[in-house]
Amino acid sequence: MRLDAKIPGGPLTEKWDRHRFELKLVNPANKRKYDIIVVGTGLAGGSAAATLAELGYNVKNFCIQDSPRRAHSIAAQGGINAAKNYQNEGDSVWRLFYDTVKGGDFRAREGNVYRLAQVSNNIIDQCVAQGVPFARDYGGLLANRSFGGSQVSRTFYARGQTGQQLLLGAYSSLSRQIALGKVKMFPRREMLDLVVVDGQARGIVVRNLITGETECHEAHAVVLATGGYGNVFFLSTNAMGSNVTAAYRAHKRGALFANPCFTQIHPTCIPVHGDYQSKLTLMSESLRNDGRVWVPKKPGDTRPPHEIPESERDYYLERRYPSFGNLVPRDVASRNAKAQCDEDKGVGDTKLAVYLDFADAIRRDGKDAIEKKYGNLFQMYEKITAQDPYETPMMIYPAVHYTMGGLWVDYNLMSTIPGLFVLGEANFSDHGANRLGASALMQGLADGYFVIPYTIGGYLAGTSFSDVTTDHSAFRDTTNEVAEHVEKLLSIKGKRTVDDFHRELGLTMWDYCGMSRNDEGLEKARKKIQELRGEFWENVLVPGSNNDFNQSLERAGRVADFLEFGELMVIDALARKESCGGHFNEAHQTEENEARRDDENFCHVAAWEYTGDDKEPGLHKEPLVFENVQLTQRSYK
Amino acid sequence: MDWLTNTIGTSIGKKLLMAITGLCFCGFLVVHLIGNLTIYGGKDFFNAYVDHLHSYGPLINVAELVLLTLAAIHVLTGTILFFGNLNARPERYVVNKSAGGRTIGSSTMPYTGFLMLLFIIFHLFNFHFADHENQTVFEIVANAFAQRGYVFIYIVAMIIVAIHVSHGLWSAFQTIGASHPKYTPLIEGVGIAFSVIIGIGFGFIPIFIFTI
Amino acid sequence: MTTAKTINLELKVWRQKGPKDRGKLEIYDAKEISTDMSFLEMLDVVNEQLTLEGKDPIAFDHDCREGICGMCGTVVNGRAHGPEKGTTLCQLHMRHFSDGDTIVIEPWRARAFKVIKDLAVDRSAFDTLIQAGGYVSVNAGGAQDANCIPIPQEVAEKAMDAAACIGCGACVAACPNASAMLFVSAKVSQLALLPQGKPEAAQRALSMVRTMDELGFGNCTNETECEAECPKEISITNIARLNREFFKAGFFSSVE
Repeated sequence: MRLDAKIPGGPLTEKWDRHRFELKLVNPANKRKYDIIVVGTGLAGGSAAATLAELGYNVKNFCIQDSPRRAHSIAAQGGINAAKNYQNEGDSVWRLFYDTVKGGDFRAREGNVYRLAQVSNNIIDQCVAQGVPFARDYGGLLANRSFGGSQVSRTFYARGQTGQQLLLGAYSSLSRQIALGKVKMFPRREMLDLVVVDGQARGIVVRNLITGETECHEAHAVVLATGGYGNVFFLSTNAMGSNVTAAYRAHKRGALFANPCFTQIHPTCIPVHGDYQSKLTLMSESLRNDGRVWVPKKPGDTRPPHEIPESERDYYLERRYPSFGNLVPRDVASRNAKAQCDEDKGVGDTKLAVYLDFADAIRRDGKDAIEKKYGNLFQMYEKITAQDPYETPMMIYPAVHYTMGGLWVDYNLMSTIPGLFVLGEANFSDHGANRLGASALMQGLADGYFVIPYTIGGYLAGTSFSDVTTDHSAFRDTTNEVAEHVEKLLSIKGKRTVDDFHRELGLTMWDYCGMSRNDEGLEKARKKIQELRGEFWENVLVPGSNNDFNQSLERAGRVADFLEFGELMVIDALARKESCGGHFNEAHQTEENEARRDDENFCHVAAWEYTGDDKEPGLHKEPLVFENVQLTQRSYK
Repeated sequence: MDWLTNTIGTSIGKKLLMAITGLCFCGFLVVHLIGNLTIYGGKDFFNAYVDHLHSYGPLINVAELVLLTLAAIHVLTGTILFFGNLNARPERYVVNKSAGGRTIGSSTMPYTGFLMLLFIIFHLFNFHFADHENQTVFEIVANAFAQRGYVFIYIVAMIIVAIHVSHGLWSAFQTIGASHPKYTPLIEGVGIAFSVIIGIGFGFIPIFIFTI
Repeated sequence: MTTAKTINLELKVWRQKGPKDRGKLEIYDAKEISTDMSFLEMLDVVNEQLTLEGKDPIAFDHDCREGICGMCGTVVNGRAHGPEKGTTLCQLHMRHFSDGDTIVIEPWRARAFKVIKDLAVDRSAFDTLIQAGGYVSVNAGGAQDANCIPIPQEVAEKAMDAAACIGCGACVAACPNASAMLFVSAKVSQLALLPQGKPEAAQRALSMVRTMDELGFGNCTNETECEAECPKEISITNIARLNREFFKAGFFSSVE
């Protein structure tokens, strides 16, 4: 298989314009003849479903939650980037593009990223028009703040709830289309398989999570916007329901999975504090605008923070990266926190935390100003930890947050299965090996509002379709396979709960395929995952039946897929013998412990093909070509 | 006129009816109380006030009719809302606990309202439909409040009125949309003060009459 | 974090097989619960135990577990989302309970929110409400520059206060009348305050209020329990604003 990214020719700045002109169009009257399935209702899925319906397509939209408004995009806190240059700091589309490519450690496509930067401005316009209450200055114009990996303030925000407000904007547009009858909404449905007919994605099989019934839905194209796979680590900042199942089932049906080892460990999360813990909570990166990160200079220092004098504190980010300071990209900040803790400079009970201190900012701007900016985050921190961050520094530690890897897509966001499009975090396209803060919201909405509406038209107009209904044998076969899988999970009746397996898998992934990796550990992880998977299929205990609201069964299916997918991540990490962005292989680092890329051998996208159960996946490489930026050692000093 | 019934027929519309009629009654209470206070001026002063009032003739009948209409609207709408609210939660909670929003007034509105209705009927039969040919109004009042039972009933009734109004006045303003961070605390304060004044103002009269 | 200890609790949990079945409170012991756990993590522990004992675990909705998705929510000892102010159930920590406490856990109860199973309820009525007009009719692609219309900071902040609603349904659950006025008013207020929402303000207010009545929610009697229980502390001044918007629309606009 040769991977063709279908990047349009011509100069970078004109590629998207040119492509939009060259794409075939579906005339307005014909759009109603096409059915499109959108799985997921987050920023990418919700905006795509709404926009495709606005254009006139018949859309069926699915989500696992009880309402499309609850997709996990809602939890994004800090903001969304756009190259508006409202602050007159010299920002531009090109600068946003460059920052993003560099932030991703040169492992993303130039063409995709440039397009992302181009449409970023339209997103802000669109959201404001929807009634998203972005923060404003006294004069009534939009306010901005800065985020990691950038030296300009280009992040738009709505307090610490930007994701929520953007999602509710998309949800409101979606609701309007539901009311108009152009979108048929299917909440509490989980996609369990993709139906491929004559090589085209033509439908999905879902489980009704209330009744347990298996339902088939056909369409001319399927759009997956099912988010990332961070929950493979069990503990992550993802919602409890976030999972890889939809993407992984599509992978098993022929869609290549790209760069699965690129995971983002977010530097500012509330530290782990017990074995029973079910999830980790993020503290927005925006806090690093005003908070200063430090640890005691002396290893093993157990004094409480206020007893450690200024001279005995190490503001290690400011010291090591004077020009970016506390606003270095996430991968850099996370690795540095880990390095400090590895040197026994960690703080708190577990010694796995560093301080994020607002004392200087409160002294400088006053408590009110800080409260206005971060009030809800401080409140959330206090609720969880019972400590007041206005009085004592926050304790933070890195946690799994986002996955840059995802299903491989071309410039049109189409996977290797014709008719299967993948948007948002579920695809791999724009963030390379490390995503910059406030770029996920930008990408999700760019894909949904401004990319898929054009590119899906190009596909539909240029493809001939046979008549397919859910009576087709492909639907029958797929449904049978799904039912068999579910029955098998229920019939094992073993002795260990689903969560127990999940927790063990997560720990293995975190220890060996987390913030820093080495070949020996990865090999060990691979073996452990295989063993755990073997045990799972013999010893898992899934209570209840299929014909019920059975949350244990839901989780069992997801964990079963994580147990396969985790191994693919490890295989990818083993194959990438370099360090870049979120993938840090200890054998490949500079003398200053920074990631050392190997552009000669690894300047490519690693896209994996499923070849069968317990078979080695096949590796396909899409070379990354940089014509507009020079590959350099990333420096934030 | 569809627009009117469509607007009034909604839950907010019905609440508007409650608010407006309720506010009218608050106004009536003020007038009624001012009139009643003349009783402290003694028998003649009070009877003179009554005579003056009756000199308005048909106007009084119109006012009575208006009051009756307002009462009918208030009671009927209140009843519809009460049963609508019961119906909105067919299965009740095993444990009920307030988060601190409710007050005695707010949580008892339908019940205090119902008791007030009973009291008003009682009150009308006592005074309004009493024999006005052979006795002055002052005599009617004095005779009634010479009995401990009447005094007791009237005092309890006035406490109930005060409780009802303690929520009602503020609530009416909220319903008609008159809410503002600058004025709402004032309205709430006035509501409480008003209910206390009404309660004491009316409630002290039976005691005063009983003790003279 | 340093004050963690373990407590033992008695839970009385509402168990109901399906929407049409009769439910009842069942008693469970929750042993060795760390006070650092969230309420939902405590339920996880109980569920793991029930699973191992071969019993049906307690069904409850939850997702983000950081207080923003609005998926979780039960009535705990008579209080929606439990006893802490401005807190969702997932953010309620067990340090607010004492050893030996009995905790009664019930689902949201309202005609418009049917129980699906145990503590999980169907809140699709909220989606129906938003579909009735909780949006600005603007298609992707046609928007003008975001800074074209300045919006006073104070107005944007007020709109944001209202927009913070997470749609969890606690207002309905806590309202003695199961009214959805706080939810509806939050959306109507957000969009009525912002210039972008003004063109459709009258239609929105009328349509959302009528839909609210049709869905079987109760009437607002200004008991203010909703405001007291709202995990995002959304103010009832929004309800007054909704009333104004509704009267404006019903009496003075030309919208039917």
